[in-house]
Amino acid sequence: MIPMAFSISAIIFFASRLSPIDPLNSLISPDAAADPTNLAILKERLGFNDPIIVQYFNWLMEMFKGNFGYSIQSGQPISEILALRMPATLELVLAALIISTTLALLIGLIAGANRGGLTDKTSRALAAVGISVPDFFIGLALLNVLAYRLSWFPTGQRISPGQETFLDRLPHLVLPVATLSIAMLAVLIRYTRNSVLDTINRDFVKTARSKGLPEWKVMWSHVFRNSLGPVMVLIAFRLPLLVGGAVLVEAVFQWPGIGDTIVEAVTVSDYPVIMVVSLLIAVAILFASFLVDIAKSILDPRVRLGATTE
Amino acid sequence: MTDKVPSTARLLAANFVRNTAGMVGFLIIFLVVTSAIFAEQISGYDPNLMDGMSTSMSPSTDHLMGTDQLGRDMFSRVLYGGRNSVLIGVTASFLGNLIGTVLGAIAGYLGGKLDTIFIRLSELFMTFPQLVLVLIFVTFLGQGVSNVIIIFAITGWMTTFRLVRSEFLSLREEAFVEADRAFGFSKKRIIFRHLLPNTMSPIVVAFTINIAIYIIAEAGLSFLGLGVPVTTPTWGNLLAAAQAPVVVEQYWWLWVFPATAIIVFVTGVNFIGDGLRDVLDPRQRTRGSKSTFKSALKEKLIGTRERNS
Repeated sequence: MIPMAFSISAIIFFASRLSPIDPLNSLISPDAAADPTNLAILKERLGFNDPIIVQYFNWLMEMFKGNFGYSIQSGQPISEILALRMPATLELVLAALIISTTLALLIGLIAGANRGGLTDKTSRALAAVGISVPDFFIGLALLNVLAYRLSWFPTGQRISPGQETFLDRLPHLVLPVATLSIAMLAVLIRYTRNSVLDTINRDFVKTARSKGLPEWKVMWSHVFRNSLGPVMVLIAFRLPLLVGGAVLVEAVFQWPGIGDTIVEAVTVSDYPVIMVVSLLIAVAILFASFLVDIAKSILDPRVRLGATTE
Repeated sequence: MTDKVPSTARLLAANFVRNTAGMVGFLIIFLVVTSAIFAEQISGYDPNLMDGMSTSMSPSTDHLMGTDQLGRDMFSRVLYGGRNSVLIGVTASFLGNLIGTVLGAIAGYLGGKLDTIFIRLSELFMTFPQLVLVLIFVTFLGQGVSNVIIIFAITGWMTTFRLVRSEFLSLREEAFVEADRAFGFSKKRIIFRHLLPNTMSPIVVAFTINIAIYIIAEAGLSFLGLGVPVTTPTWGNLLAAAQAPVVVEQYWWLWVFPATAIIVFVTGVNFIGDGLRDVLDPRQRTRGSKSTFKSALKEKLIGTRERNS
């Protein structure tokens, strides 16, 4: 994990040096850059005359301190932009993750336990269609029907002017969260169902049944618990969305989150912002894979941390 | 060998015909692709012809899918858009698979330092969500049809790479490869003439499924306005009209029809992929049918099957 984080940060650093803009501009505020004599002094002080390796480590230190540089588009410090956008993304993704995970585990368990039953058939059909539908189309359809035709919900944005409390914002949250949840459901249901089916035929489940345990107990404490392993991996790898945002869903609902920031930055080639956000996403993903290893060792005592597979 | 090949192919084809999902998928794709090819004959309208007299008209017998704000016939645009979208999906998937196959074959057969480098490289690429990775590359390379294809190819080779590599790892220990080596065949010949044909099935399945993934990715990218330029109609570009709230609210036919085209096509491709997997790669369907004593023993000892997730 650590070497990977270093190599990614190095690639991002050198890529940003190769980008067609003067890296100086992304480090100092535009006001300070206006004066040429000032510029030369700043260049020296910021270490632009040092060897590139030294520059890389200096940059890394600055990143650790939370000094992410400046956006070349707005001149704002990137840390400020992130602080502004992060709450919106966290709100959206966290709610969607909780809802979709709970529902998917429940449906997947029921579908797997009653193979060929009604829940199983419907959920399989829905999952098959679900992976073919672009997630932003779900958002557009919900917008058209529930927001424009029925006016049950606002048509986008995070807050209406003058209404700032959490309760006022709640209606704004419903459609984006629903869209993201539906988009995440299909794969997770399929995954949970297959995992439950894998477990249900194992010997220890037969043993549990022949001990005379009630069926719900067999399901809950033997089948469900043991089929969580592979499902956990999928869920953990969705956690980085908390940092990266859901690009398309945010675009549909004009949701002012990180995903929206990325799109804006790409549209105007705001390299520093793109670099910082992608670095954060990479670190978040590496952290998630670290969490997966820990979760695996908790769920399955046979897996030991640090042990090599095979 | 040579006179056995057609009979195997016929056998597989017969199996595929009996596979319901595969055949349904095949029919869907056949219909979509033919209508995209014969777009001129079917639609009767020029997709770029603006008609100031009939702007934003809802679907009617004249314009089956209505017209857009510039008076262009949507049915014709969806047909022509399909041409470009399918072309992008197929080309990108082919190129991505090519990269993955070549790198996977080399890494799997030769092993050593090259293997480590390629594995690390694939991990590096897989660290990022696909859309974010695509967006990063768009920043550097810019937009356009060929750029989108190139970007899709270099951001989507990793699954095939891992698949091919693991196939090669197990195949290179087989007796016929040992015989090849004893004959003194060059590495190139062993890899591309003897081993590669044996890994074709998973590659074909991956190729099919990647087409579906790329069609959806193109739609997303163009919806954001960062994909193919607006002058080239693709399903994604047509959907991008829905960025305007007034379109979402009033002109539903402008985004419902292109989206339906995507959903139908992608469902078809996924059906074909499932069908092909059943026919070409029976191991995926019936577990343990090919397991040897050694692997069964290993399964008993370790307790769980290794998952390729």
